[in-house]
Amino acid sequence: MQIDHTVLTKLEKLSHLRIDESKKEEVMGQLTEILGYVDNLNELETDTLDASFSTLEGGTPLREDLPRAENDIAKNILAHAPESQDDFFIVPAIIE
Amino acid sequence: MFETVIGLEVHVQLNTKTKLFCSCPTSFAEHQNKNTCPTCLALPGALPVVNREAAVKAMRFGYAINANVNHVSTFDRKSYFYPDSPSAYQITQLTKAIVQKGELFIDLEDGSQKRIGMTQAHLEADAGKNMHEGNHSKVDLNRAGTPLMEIVSEPDMRSSDEAVAYLKKLHSTVRYLDISDANMQEGSFRCDVNVSIRPKGQEAFGTRVEIKNINSFKFVAAAIAYEVQRQTEAYEDGVYEQEVHQETRLWNVAEGVTKSMRGKEEAADYRYFPDPDLRPLVVTDEMIEEAKEIPELPDAKVARYVEELGIKKADALVITALKEMAYYFEEMLKYGAVAKTAVTWLTSELLGRLNKAGLSIETSPVDAKALGILVSKITDGTISGKGAKELLDHMMEHEDRDIDALIDELGLAQVSDDGAILAIIDEILANNQDKVEQYKSGKEKLFGFFVGQTMKASKGSANPAKVNELLKQRLNS
Repeated sequence: MQIDHTVLTKLEKLSHLRIDESKKEEVMGQLTEILGYVDNLNELETDTLDASFSTLEGGTPLREDLPRAENDIAKNILAHAPESQDDFFIVPAIIE
Repeated sequence: MFETVIGLEVHVQLNTKTKLFCSCPTSFAEHQNKNTCPTCLALPGALPVVNREAAVKAMRFGYAINANVNHVSTFDRKSYFYPDSPSAYQITQLTKAIVQKGELFIDLEDGSQKRIGMTQAHLEADAGKNMHEGNHSKVDLNRAGTPLMEIVSEPDMRSSDEAVAYLKKLHSTVRYLDISDANMQEGSFRCDVNVSIRPKGQEAFGTRVEIKNINSFKFVAAAIAYEVQRQTEAYEDGVYEQEVHQETRLWNVAEGVTKSMRGKEEAADYRYFPDPDLRPLVVTDEMIEEAKEIPELPDAKVARYVEELGIKKADALVITALKEMAYYFEEMLKYGAVAKTAVTWLTSELLGRLNKAGLSIETSPVDAKALGILVSKITDGTISGKGAKELLDHMMEHEDRDIDALIDELGLAQVSDDGAILAIIDEILANNQDKVEQYKSGKEKLFGFFVGQTMKASKGSANPAKVNELLKQRLNS
């Protein structure tokens, strides 16, 4: 698959990244190369196989519905947040 | 002529004690960010562990709606970037949901039922809440990671009445199953509506519009009505293609209209993929056994009330619409109330008084035991209907619940003793010799006069049935 300017613009939007104009050609080349490499997988015959979601046997471990004891973890995390106020996380305005 | 096609997606918050993937409590209205931990805050290295109880509750719902409960289901990541989700993805079940292909029967106005197909019900984690304030936003992640079950219906509904009937049935079903508080105001029962129209007879569906954020049954009906009108007008004006897009619209309560969510759609790409942190959810035999413990549901209750208790279907529907009401009713029967009398005293006498006092069946000052005993006292003749109303009024205001003592105390005991009633009757007849003669010579209407006089003389305490019986004896002898 060829990554062109349209696809790159969409990827920038989705990933919230901005690629510098001078680097665009290079990035498009790299992404195209990566996709070409992954495309090798299409040579495998998978029509007769079930999808595998994990390389591990058995199901996910389950937990009983018991609340943890109170602790200060949340306070600690809040204290290390880039910005917090009255125990709220503060982020830039997200509404226009 | 157009046909309306409606499908519903309902998010039900499961009433587990802890979140879906961590042991943080799910208690409502706590101090901001108190119920958070490294897992629900998505700190690097923290791993999700599935809450067994959430899975059992989803399974129980599956069995209740005759669905396939998958013994193996999987979790996927739905990527989106917003501060209410610190992981920048939501864990959900896209590839294989725990519950697939069920059915729910809705009750229509004319008393018939209609089958609504259920596509699936899957487990997913809720997001936190944002509050917008000036040039910044405040984030509270207490709700982040709370277990939700998203219930998706087939596009089987053809009117807003059917959509509301479906929501009401679903609401009462999850309440009976005790898997959710389903409180619309608190957001533990949220619905999104998919609406489209098509010319009658056309098989292909029209363009589907999704309406989000509707928090009452009334608004669901209003939003559907508005959207159907908007789409129909666009069709008739020949601008359907231009004006009706597959998009998400929000219901605006203040203006009573739906509004497009600007431009968000085009960029949306959720990049679903299996969550590498979670192996498939494999349910155990014990979980299946637990999930199959299903209490009697509304439909079965209605059938039983009608067939075994002989009450009217309309009454049975009223009583079973609310789990609390049905349990109250059944409790009354345990204390000796006869079913038909219990219906009247519950649905009109008690509910009337509760409404007036701004109370509900859950906050009723008179419990089912007291009302059940009171109703039994009417049936056995201890107290008249009138006396019972007085006693109920008294109990709404006072706490004493010794019914027998109260009947004595308030002087409400009905006199059924033959001797006492006969004494009154004889006195009445003696004082009204002329009327007795008239009655005996054919003026039978006067019988009512004698009953009235006797009741009056007994200050309403005489058992009317007894008075009738004894008066007839005396007058016809």
